[in-house]
Amino acid sequence: MDSLETFVVESAIDSEQEFYRKIIEDNLASLKLAPAIGRIKVVLRPEDSLFQMAIILRDVGTKVTTIDIADVEAKPIAGEVIISITKEQYIPELLVKLWERYGKANISQPDRWTVTISTDRAVEEAAFLKDMMVADPRHRLHENLVDFAIRATPEGFRVRYHLYKGNRFVFVASEEALKHEWIEEAGAMLEELMEGGKK
Amino acid sequence: MAVLLPYLYTGGVHKHGLLIELMEDLGGYIIQKVVTGTEVNLIMLVPEKDVDVVKKLSDELLGVLVEAPLTGVEIAVVSPTLASHHLPHSACDVAEYLRHPGANTNMIGLARGMGRRVSLSMDYERKLINEHDIAVFTFGSFSDCITKKKPKLFEGIEIPIVVTGGPADLKTEDVPGADLYIGNIGRVSHRLRRTEEINALDSLNEGVSKIADNIRKQQAKDPLAVLPARVMKEIENQVQEIRTVLSPAPLTLQLNGLRVKLPYDEFHEKIEKLEFDEGVTLSELADISRSKMKNYILIKIKSKSDVGFAI
Repeated sequence: MDSLETFVVESAIDSEQEFYRKIIEDNLASLKLAPAIGRIKVVLRPEDSLFQMAIILRDVGTKVTTIDIADVEAKPIAGEVIISITKEQYIPELLVKLWERYGKANISQPDRWTVTISTDRAVEEAAFLKDMMVADPRHRLHENLVDFAIRATPEGFRVRYHLYKGNRFVFVASEEALKHEWIEEAGAMLEELMEGGKK
Repeated sequence: MAVLLPYLYTGGVHKHGLLIELMEDLGGYIIQKVVTGTEVNLIMLVPEKDVDVVKKLSDELLGVLVEAPLTGVEIAVVSPTLASHHLPHSACDVAEYLRHPGANTNMIGLARGMGRRVSLSMDYERKLINEHDIAVFTFGSFSDCITKKKPKLFEGIEIPIVVTGGPADLKTEDVPGADLYIGNIGRVSHRLRRTEEINALDSLNEGVSKIADNIRKQQAKDPLAVLPARVMKEIENQVQEIRTVLSPAPLTLQLNGLRVKLPYDEFHEKIEKLEFDEGVTLSELADISRSKMKNYILIKIKSKSDVGFAI
């Protein structure tokens, strides 16, 4: 699936459709979500105060452990664990986890690519660190998706329903109490997208 | 009474004092002076017959002198709420663009202005908006909302209402209660910079200037007892504390008065007793009240017919 291979916005009035397409594009860009989304369909019905959105996500990486982004080496005699970073993008998350476990005083960064931990149990800690989960892109994606949905929806539509399961995301928002059929309609939109989506 | 024309001078800081001195000699007024780095912006009221003299000096100083039709107009830019859906784009872009021709704008975010059925404004908010000369409401992209649901926010607004929204095909008549509708400025999540958006902002400025001109024309039939700019100058001379105010416009001119950004309780007596050379005090010429904005002082000048004379 390519990113944004289906991107449909439907509304009774053509020009309004264009406005919302632009709003959605801008918000996708500012949250850097576009690469994660395969197919998206949005239906607007202002007369019913209704906003429906269905999204199919592309494969987003699996959980990242320390060994995926760095080499871990135990130095029992010196009482140190040395982490040599290979993928820099996850350093902030890694450091937060390390600070939590060992305290800031026990961690030093002699240079950009190296993190040293002082510990008495270097070998055991090194073994633990290798399998420690550093980041979960899916978790971050979920946060961003919800943020995106709220930003794209008209502000007054504060009654919201959302479902996030596997690579599917459904969002319905309205000003009134949500009707069951609105959620079903959004589900049907999702099914349509699953089958390849109408262009 | 000399006719004063609004102009905006943009040029270097070097020797711009000459322009201020010239303005004093000619009997014009400096409304606002903004120094940014080595640049200076002067918004001023120039006597009609002396515009050439000022133009000549501005050319000598290698500055640019342009007409600023919205000088002395305080505009309320009203957005349904202060949420990220409306700010900074497009409401801030609208407010910023209105400042180019000299207006002073205040952004007002309603507490509960969002939505269709649920949107409403509070008495306090309506009174605050009514303190301004013109209100610009920035609405969204659905014509259904703009024509049917949002106009209830106009109830109780007594000043001219300008509405901006997305749909370009709506007409002013379609929006009940609005004095002007400008399309192509709806809800956007990017800075307004495409050709049609800038064109829309230009036509907004043009339309708002026309409304301001109409108010001025109506006013000319029964002129104010004293020019707001003259009151401004007298306050600068007689109330020294105004120099210590850090707001960008400590004295904000309006078409029929001005806002003094000093605390009401401490200074209202001083303002009421403001003296003019003709021997009258300001309280004879104007209503002085507590502004809904912070704790400022609001001066609304009475018309000549109310007072019986004008100075």
